[in-house]
Amino acid sequence: MDVLVAEDVFRQYGETVAVDGVSLAVGAGEIVALVGPNGAGKTTLVRALTGTTEAEGHVELFGKPPRDADRERIGLLPQSFDPPARLTARELVEYYGGLYDDARDTDELLADVGMTDRADVYYENLSGGQQRRTCVATALINDPDLLVVDEPTTGIDPAGRRQLWRLLTDLADAGTTVFLTTHYMAEARELAERVGLLADGQLVALDTPERLIETYGGETLLYVDGEFPDDVTTLLDQETTVDDGRLTVRNVAPEEIGEITRTLDAAAVSYDSLTWTEPDLEDVYLELTGQSVTADGRRTEVRR
Amino acid sequence: MSRSRRILATTRAGWHSFLRRRTAVFFTFFFPAIIVVIFGLLVETQPTDGGLFTEPVGWYIAGYLAVIVLFTPLSRVGSEVARHRSGSQFEKLATTPLARWEWLLAQTVVNTVVIGLASILLLGLLFGATGAGVAVSAELLLVVPFVGIGVALFCAVGAILGSIVDSQDGVIAASNGIAVPLVFLSEAFVQPDLLPGWLPLELSPLTYFTRGVRALTYTEAAGGLPPSLDLLILSVFAVVAFVIAAVLLPQTD
Repeated sequence: MDVLVAEDVFRQYGETVAVDGVSLAVGAGEIVALVGPNGAGKTTLVRALTGTTEAEGHVELFGKPPRDADRERIGLLPQSFDPPARLTARELVEYYGGLYDDARDTDELLADVGMTDRADVYYENLSGGQQRRTCVATALINDPDLLVVDEPTTGIDPAGRRQLWRLLTDLADAGTTVFLTTHYMAEARELAERVGLLADGQLVALDTPERLIETYGGETLLYVDGEFPDDVTTLLDQETTVDDGRLTVRNVAPEEIGEITRTLDAAAVSYDSLTWTEPDLEDVYLELTGQSVTADGRRTEVRR
Repeated sequence: MSRSRRILATTRAGWHSFLRRRTAVFFTFFFPAIIVVIFGLLVETQPTDGGLFTEPVGWYIAGYLAVIVLFTPLSRVGSEVARHRSGSQFEKLATTPLARWEWLLAQTVVNTVVIGLASILLLGLLFGATGAGVAVSAELLLVVPFVGIGVALFCAVGAILGSIVDSQDGVIAASNGIAVPLVFLSEAFVQPDLLPGWLPLELSPLTYFTRGVRALTYTEAAGGLPPSLDLLILSVFAVVAFVIAAVLLPQTD
């Protein structure tokens, strides 16, 4: 049975459409990540799914509308969450634990999120990453069956991020359903069984990372840097182009690289370096969101 | 059991959160002290034929109490609601079992204790510095529920303001805009015969607080409703405001 179901969810603020007809379903124990540019509607969708914004369409958590769902079973971390002031990390987690009939052990949970050493420090005196870890703990204190976390690792250092990834993976392995938003493609790839891409309020793709890359990621590329004769593009069977001292060979499987170097060597073509790249989730993101980055680092919109 | 657990957890968090804000604590208790210093010692009361501050000092005890029962809960809870809104705290609480009225009740408990302590401080200063006194009787204990219900009422009004006005600055401005006129139009410091007869003073809930507390603390108080009836009317205002506030407290963005 699906834990979270959304059908044709729509939310508009004035003239701005934040979420435009999103439908999805998340099964028990599944981790689904939602990625998308700033302003794509991720936070609004999270709010619609948890019943904290008035949205059109149909949403069910555990088979009931969000406001009627068993709140003991839901954990939420809002994106811009700022908890009550002048409480320590431990007191904050204890406070939220006190709102549930059955709460996890506070110290154990603080250890899980790597906050044992800073548990007795006031929240506002913690670093941004430590604050975020504490907030994650407040969403986990009731050992939820459905965890909805909006950018859970923003501001957390790489080691802390990996610790939280492991924690979320362990939770999902134990049966917790996790719905998260993130700006980190590596996080979506590492954690999620399925990744949704939101652009302009629309869910433009939702599939496993592998299938998304296969479908939308584009080609593998081999870059050969050096000085090339004019006829170099005729030497290889693959589609090739030369531009400013760089030979680009498209759709090259790893096992074909040896054959390409042998062909270049046989033709006495000298080169300085070889770089092989395969598409990843970031390429899918850029493709589906219509964004790209120019050579000088400027971000551009490419509307198709 | 679980409901009391939720309210207790929220009360404890609210209590710690308040007590550790030194500036807020200082000014909460400085407020009654400065009121007594200004009005009780500097202005002083001069019994004459008419005008402001011309009643005996005992007449103003109810007014002093009205000021702290009104101002602090109104601005504190209003600001707290605005802070909760800007920090997405209601968004999170909406997905927990905590009901909105439970949250408001917890804030009310915290404020009742704080204002109760501030009231004791105020009365101590008043009696010590101005020579005011009260006739001790069993009925005098009714002042306690008057303060408690008064605090609950203005916590609820503060919550309503915080739910409607979407910034802390706006809430503070709005609470001052409501509290200052109420103080002067509710028989706290201004005798009703100094005001135009057409002013409907009975529409202000604070009027029932000042009348009731005055009847209990000032033996020369002119006859009016029995204090218990004033308390009942104040309670009705408090219940209505509490229900409205509990409905208006945000659950969504």
